[in-house]
Amino acid sequence: MKIVAVTSCITGIAHTYMAAEALEQAAKKAGHDITVETQGSAGSTAIPQATIDSADVVIFACDLDVKNKSRFNGKPFVQVGVTKVLADANSVIAQATEALASGKVPTLKVDSPASETSGAARATSTRTGFFARVFGKK
Amino acid sequence: MAHSDHSLLTTEDIVIVGLEAATKEEATRQLAEKLFDDGRVTDLEGFLEDVAAREEQMNTGLPNGIGIPHARSAHVSTPSVAVGVSKFGVHFGAADGPANLIFLIGAPDTADDEHLHIIAALARKLVLDEFLDSLRNANNGAEIAQIITEGVHKR
Repeated sequence: MKIVAVTSCITGIAHTYMAAEALEQAAKKAGHDITVETQGSAGSTAIPQATIDSADVVIFACDLDVKNKSRFNGKPFVQVGVTKVLADANSVIAQATEALASGKVPTLKVDSPASETSGAARATSTRTGFFARVFGKK
Repeated sequence: MAHSDHSLLTTEDIVIVGLEAATKEEATRQLAEKLFDDGRVTDLEGFLEDVAAREEQMNTGLPNGIGIPHARSAHVSTPSVAVGVSKFGVHFGAADGPANLIFLIGAPDTADDEHLHIIAALARKLVLDEFLDSLRNANNGAEIAQIITEGVHKR
């Protein structure tokens, strides 16, 4: 299974990165591919859109609003607090795979990027036009 | 007193092996004093207030016996991690019990991505059992500083 995940925490220097590592380790152990975007203070490298597009499920392990969340529109997702990942990353991975298997997992639908903060917006600026067309002009 | 090498996240000067503290505040203060004495924290009380403010938002105790009080603070001059090893443990609010490894993480609030990368690198190590075990099994502060330096600086 292909998983993409976003982690964030209040201060942005510790839990964000601990959770990313924990998710990577747990996914590897369970035999899944995972790409994690750490939205912390030490910089954030956006997950390539193609990787998001090909992912089976998205895990948001975030204590802050996800930057540029509309990149993940249409993807099945689970949302947990970042400490949940640190308490038991294996069960978060299992939660995501089981939710997907059950067919009851919600798919993401958020508003257009126009309302979103800069930060990650750079990474997807080329898609703004696309989303503007799809979701109507704001 | 001469200061330790500030290009390193942790040096033996900011490690306490055999830390004894009844509360997380006491443990945090002892570690913060190490940072202050080493010239990494410019205002001890100011820094402690910033750490306490973060701690109030959510406990920083984590599973596997670790506590990570931390703050980005105007009173920190260089990214630093003071380490305390406690035989009896100090309660940091984790559900599974007290912390016997305590990492007081200080980042300057002006630090750019480059400087914070080093803290992020350490944070990633803190979920790896073998890394934590190696710290618990270290004999002294110099060994602990060495393990952290090898873990985050030499990549």
